[in-house]
Amino acid sequence: MNKITNIKFWILAAIIMVSQSCSEFLEVDPLYQINSETFFNSEDDYQQALIGAYDLLQSSYINVMMGEFASDNTLCGGENANDVPGFQEIDDMRHGPVNSNLQDLWNWMYAGVNRCNYIFEFENKTNFENKDLVMGQAAFLRAYYFFELTKWFGDIPMPIDVRVSFGSVQDYGREAQANVYAQIESDLTFASNVLPTSWDQKGRVTKGAAQALLGKVLVFQEKFGAATIILDDVIDSGVYDLYDDYNTLFTQVAENNIESVFEVQYSNEQGAGFGCLQCSEGNVMVGFSGIRGYSGPTYVSGFSFNVPVQDLVDQYTPNDNRLRATIMDIEAYKSEQESQGNQVSYGEGWEHTGYYNHKYIPRTGEAFQDPNLTNSTNYRAIRFSDVLLLAAEAYNATGNDAKAQEYVNRVRTRAGLSDLVTTAGSLEQDIQQERRLELAGEGHRFFDLVRRGEAAAKIPGFIVGTHELFPIPLVEIEVAGNIWAQNPGY
Amino acid sequence: MFFLSISFIFSRLLIDNRTNTTNHMKQRLWLIFLYLIPMGLLAQTGTITGTLTDASTDEGLAFANIFNLTTTIGTVTDLDGNYEILASVGDILEMSYVGYESAKATVTGIEKMNFALNSSSALLNEVVVIGYGSSTKKEITGAVSIVKAEEVAKLNPNRLEQALQGQSAGVQISSQSGSPGGGYNIRIRGISTNGDNNPLILVDGVRYADLSALDPYSIESINILKDASASIYGVQAANGVVLITTKKGTKSDKPVIDFHAYVGTQSSARRIPVLNATEYAILSNEAHANGGQTPPFNVISDLGEGTDWQDEVFQNAPIRNYFLNVRGGGDRARYAIGGSYFDQQGIVGGEKAGFKRYTGNVNLDVDLSEKLKFNSVVTYAKQNRKTLSENAIGSVLFNALNMPSTLTPFDEDGDYTLAEGLGAEVINPLQQIANTFNNVDVNRFSGTAGLSYNIAEGLTFTSSLPFNFSLVTNRGFSPIEFYGSGKVFNTVESSVSESTQTYSSWGWDNVLNYTYAYDNVHKIDVTAGTSMYEENFQGVYATGFGVPNNSFEFAAVSQANEIRPGGASSGAGTFRLMSQFGRIQYGYNYKYLISGIIRRDGTTRFGPNNRYGIFPSISVGWVMSEESFLQNNNIIDFAKLRLSYGQTGNDKIGDFRYVAGLNGESEYVFDGNTLVFGQAVGAIANPDINWERNTQFNLGLDVNLFDEALTVTADYFIKESNDLLLSIPVSGITGYTAPGGGLPIANAGSIKNTGIELAINYRYDFSEDISFNFGVNGSKLKNETTSLNDGVSFIQGGGFSIGQLPPTRWEVGQPIGYFYGLETDGVFQNASEIESHASQPDALPGDLKFVDRNNDGAIDSEDRTFIGSPIPEYIFGMSFSAEIHGFDFSAFADAQVGRDLVRNYARNLPLTNRTAYSVDRWHGEGTSTNVPRLTTGATDNNLFSDYFIEDGSYLRIKTLQLGYTIPRYGIQSIGFEKIRIYGSVSNPFTLTKYQGYDPNISSGNPLDSGIDNGYYPQARTFIAGIKITL
Repeated sequence: MNKITNIKFWILAAIIMVSQSCSEFLEVDPLYQINSETFFNSEDDYQQALIGAYDLLQSSYINVMMGEFASDNTLCGGENANDVPGFQEIDDMRHGPVNSNLQDLWNWMYAGVNRCNYIFEFENKTNFENKDLVMGQAAFLRAYYFFELTKWFGDIPMPIDVRVSFGSVQDYGREAQANVYAQIESDLTFASNVLPTSWDQKGRVTKGAAQALLGKVLVFQEKFGAATIILDDVIDSGVYDLYDDYNTLFTQVAENNIESVFEVQYSNEQGAGFGCLQCSEGNVMVGFSGIRGYSGPTYVSGFSFNVPVQDLVDQYTPNDNRLRATIMDIEAYKSEQESQGNQVSYGEGWEHTGYYNHKYIPRTGEAFQDPNLTNSTNYRAIRFSDVLLLAAEAYNATGNDAKAQEYVNRVRTRAGLSDLVTTAGSLEQDIQQERRLELAGEGHRFFDLVRRGEAAAKIPGFIVGTHELFPIPLVEIEVAGNIWAQNPGY
Repeated sequence: MFFLSISFIFSRLLIDNRTNTTNHMKQRLWLIFLYLIPMGLLAQTGTITGTLTDASTDEGLAFANIFNLTTTIGTVTDLDGNYEILASVGDILEMSYVGYESAKATVTGIEKMNFALNSSSALLNEVVVIGYGSSTKKEITGAVSIVKAEEVAKLNPNRLEQALQGQSAGVQISSQSGSPGGGYNIRIRGISTNGDNNPLILVDGVRYADLSALDPYSIESINILKDASASIYGVQAANGVVLITTKKGTKSDKPVIDFHAYVGTQSSARRIPVLNATEYAILSNEAHANGGQTPPFNVISDLGEGTDWQDEVFQNAPIRNYFLNVRGGGDRARYAIGGSYFDQQGIVGGEKAGFKRYTGNVNLDVDLSEKLKFNSVVTYAKQNRKTLSENAIGSVLFNALNMPSTLTPFDEDGDYTLAEGLGAEVINPLQQIANTFNNVDVNRFSGTAGLSYNIAEGLTFTSSLPFNFSLVTNRGFSPIEFYGSGKVFNTVESSVSESTQTYSSWGWDNVLNYTYAYDNVHKIDVTAGTSMYEENFQGVYATGFGVPNNSFEFAAVSQANEIRPGGASSGAGTFRLMSQFGRIQYGYNYKYLISGIIRRDGTTRFGPNNRYGIFPSISVGWVMSEESFLQNNNIIDFAKLRLSYGQTGNDKIGDFRYVAGLNGESEYVFDGNTLVFGQAVGAIANPDINWERNTQFNLGLDVNLFDEALTVTADYFIKESNDLLLSIPVSGITGYTAPGGGLPIANAGSIKNTGIELAINYRYDFSEDISFNFGVNGSKLKNETTSLNDGVSFIQGGGFSIGQLPPTRWEVGQPIGYFYGLETDGVFQNASEIESHASQPDALPGDLKFVDRNNDGAIDSEDRTFIGSPIPEYIFGMSFSAEIHGFDFSAFADAQVGRDLVRNYARNLPLTNRTAYSVDRWHGEGTSTNVPRLTTGATDNNLFSDYFIEDGSYLRIKTLQLGYTIPRYGIQSIGFEKIRIYGSVSNPFTLTKYQGYDPNISSGNPLDSGIDNGYYPQARTFIAGIKITL
């Protein structure tokens, strides 16, 4: 070994080791992934983000289901007293700020809000023809999610036109409900101005949907005069009408029918799991509402949640053709089938009443693989009959009982019932009763009772001053740095 | 730059040593003389050359001292033990080397003089691999556990992790699944995060995610760095470092051939007692009557024992292993070539839960020149694994426990009996096994190639390139099958899923090492290096529907009728790490030892703000036995006090969590049933994620007594993990729960693990033919959460039964993942007891009495409290071995004490079967004080409470092995060096109060680790084997 080689190696070693310290080695971009900050470069990008905003509509099955438990229409049910404690608590009006299902609702609706706001955040990045069509749908969806949130929680944090990032949560206080409504009205007005009355693609938000939701929001605020105008726009548009056969109205043959002003679309093309119910493309509520341990024709087994109570059944007069479509009487069905020689067996779950929600019940062939999570039955979110009844309510409240009767009787006629002739206060009561009968099992009842101050009289355990709103999830208050006051009574 | 300064210190050291005239006079002299060597010298005086070797191994001793006592000139040997020294006839040379007895010799002529030194202590000179270098047990200052090949062999492990169990103090090994090929959790000094707790595993410098691809018999040694001295691996070292070396070639005249084969049979080690048909019918009737329902069984007398479903699913299953290794080498090259085949079937499911492994490896070391050396390791492993559903509601064993014993496996038509009336999840487990089809193949090709160059005396530059390429292919088939009404497993359409995942990585490590010893007084060892590392991942996944003939044979995506939108996907990832590191070790008189380590890491896992981190550590050692007050002591041979303190890091999170990408799920339905796909933001990003830091203090003591018959190692440590990288709870208004979304990763929370570890070994040789060894090790661990992120009082997880509140919590002041539920206080005996108790909804006599923890007079979910912890307080390992005239016997045991497990394998539906303890249920005042009444009606007895918590402490005899080595004289004539035959039994018995199958089992997730949903238990295995050396 001579010294020259030594130096040579010294230099070689030094070059290798120094060259290894070059920081460019660590400049790596994510693969197969688009950076969210560099998106929105074409109309297609906007359309793709819009699909993400629609996506969370499917998670609103939980709003519908919990809205029913909370009301006087159904009991929670399930397998046993501890099956989904959060559901049981809401049913019994003993829910507190720790309730994972309420937290799901809060989280999922805000997930929807964020996906809409993502589009608004980059609204001005790229221009293209008919951009308003995209923005109009996004505005409706944001309003839809906000309306759900304010219905459940009252004053809510209201991020607008920007995604809420990690660390910016503290920037959002609880916005007064009036301001939330103002935002919703503004979004819906914009949407109804830019959206078409119909689309080639079924399931997209239409002008009518935006107007109907706006009308509903106005009725919720008791802005009845304004409500009559906007609801009449929908009624007189000629686009919608009542669907003839109430019996098949909620089955899959009648999806996106003429009565559907807005319908949440579900599919059974993909599997799903309990780990991410909001990821299911199916209507989770349907499997949850299925007959426990069922074996027999037509239906498939489910989890026996959301079971209607006798009191609801008793509200229907015998000639009301909505009863059979709304309530599934398992014993009656069993004896009927057995008289035809078909075997039917079923199990009894918790709070078994013998009744099931017939509007959203799993039937054979509707689901894929796991039958309980992937049912493809669409949720009829805003039906024309709802619009008619809201309009009737608004007209009654503004003193036009003739118009109110006209609308409510359209709904009654379809149900095979005679016309109402009542007026004023008794008509007001009759319209509400009609709402209950017409919309039972669809998640509206609790909020109708609450906005009219009738909940305490109807719902056992309902405490005035507390149960009008649901508690903000405790963990939400904590992680936001305790800047949000809890709703009263919780 | 950091490195440059290190190399500067380096060169200064070199120069100083050669120029400092006051302190290094002798050295300078020998240098001068060395330069004069070629010139030739006076008569009677000349250059003595020779080699200094280890007397027992004949291997050269590098850097040993040769000192001419007469001329006071000294030199050191080179890497191979060669030396040259100037001497005259009559001079006295002294040869010395650390850990060896020094020797003196008089020069009788100017000629070659070879010396063999006897090791003063084999124990103390045992090489300890410490990362980018090695040390000896005598000199090491960190806390390192070593497991040797011999110990591994005595345990007959299927996987190397099993050999670590109970072998090393402070290392907890638990099985994720006892199914063949099932993984293990390695937890070094406790759980320090709710993220990834796995240690860094390097096999010959190559990263391994787990040890499934290794044949346990190819291992030479396992070194576990437990304390802050692991900081040489910086950001990867927070959970400890496991360094494994494989068997290398050694110089020998002829090849050494090792052949090892065993065959065996496995069976279940435990059955959970459940009700037989008669008991089941009686208790079902009672439960129905209590629930106000019609008893289902009218006639009980002829039911008998019924079906034992566990008998139906458990079977005896074969296991076998063949191993061949050929080693040898000459002066210039050494090799080790090996291969193995391992085949294990499952005690549940047989081949349907089978695992096969083929391995092949070539280790080659070539001395390209005297200075330049090449070394390489190349390994290939192929694994094939099939699995059944396990440890979940509705998994095979769960179903076997819940199927009523009144049902037969097959109905009159010979079809599988359907599990009707048993809820949506319980199905016939035999039907389930028959309809389970999956197959995972892993092909792994990995190794390392390196060159080292001896630049100058004591100075070596090593450059090595570790690499890995793994191909994972997966195929699963779900046939059309009906299991009963409303079963979640029913399928009306067959489907097949296939995936191909490629993992590849390469690294480039460059290390300069300088070793210098002066006069046996000062010894310095400096290491400086740089490292680059890159990992790439690519995966393609597809699912097809409609498989021809509903058969696995045709189950391929290409054969399927249809691939639906979203049914095919792909993914890719890249991770890079760039590091510089250095270590200085200095020893004075082998008495005072100090070692300093610093490492700087740059990672692509963090954003530009926090890309680099620096991880230092320092450790000192004091060899007390070298002090005069302990010398000439007959009892204490060796005593060393160690102290270390330093930091390691953790970046084990997903890639690119600092940017928000469009990797969320965006799917909706337009026009009927058709899915449309868009784009959406994925998990919430956090641009500020930073290093998780682990600061550890360690105080250790090593003592060897009674001529090294008794060795004791004790350690005390405090390990604080701060800025944990967590998926922290954030507000839902961020939208993190959107499909495909997720929580951000942030630095929050800290965990403190405090523990003591003790390892004692006693070896006694009665004679050359009779010896025994007894070892015991234990550790005590305390895990405590010291903080969580602001605004979060706890993080919850796990799952108990169906639809219940999460049963585990992570909370300040408590161990991570502790069990949070209701506390019970026996069973209500009568109505007046219920009356006087806090109001408990629906309570009836015979129901569990829950404790009103918050004293609000009502029992509800607010009364939940700490009811147990899955983290063991103590871990023990024990070993005994004896050798008597050719016979050898060994026994190993391990224990975990002070840990709780949750019994969650009973479905508790009206008609599901029950475990046998329900015979002791309350059925009238005074009949039971701990097991509640049975009822099909409303009851809170199934709420998560301490009724479901069991003591999971156990002591298990892991292995008993008896072997006989045939005397050498009997076999040498026919060409054998050694033949040993042996028989062994693994898992022969377990001492535990736990009622489930296997108390040593745990999912790797800290928030779900002690919940038993029907784990696949570890088998009891009987083995007969033979080991032959040619």
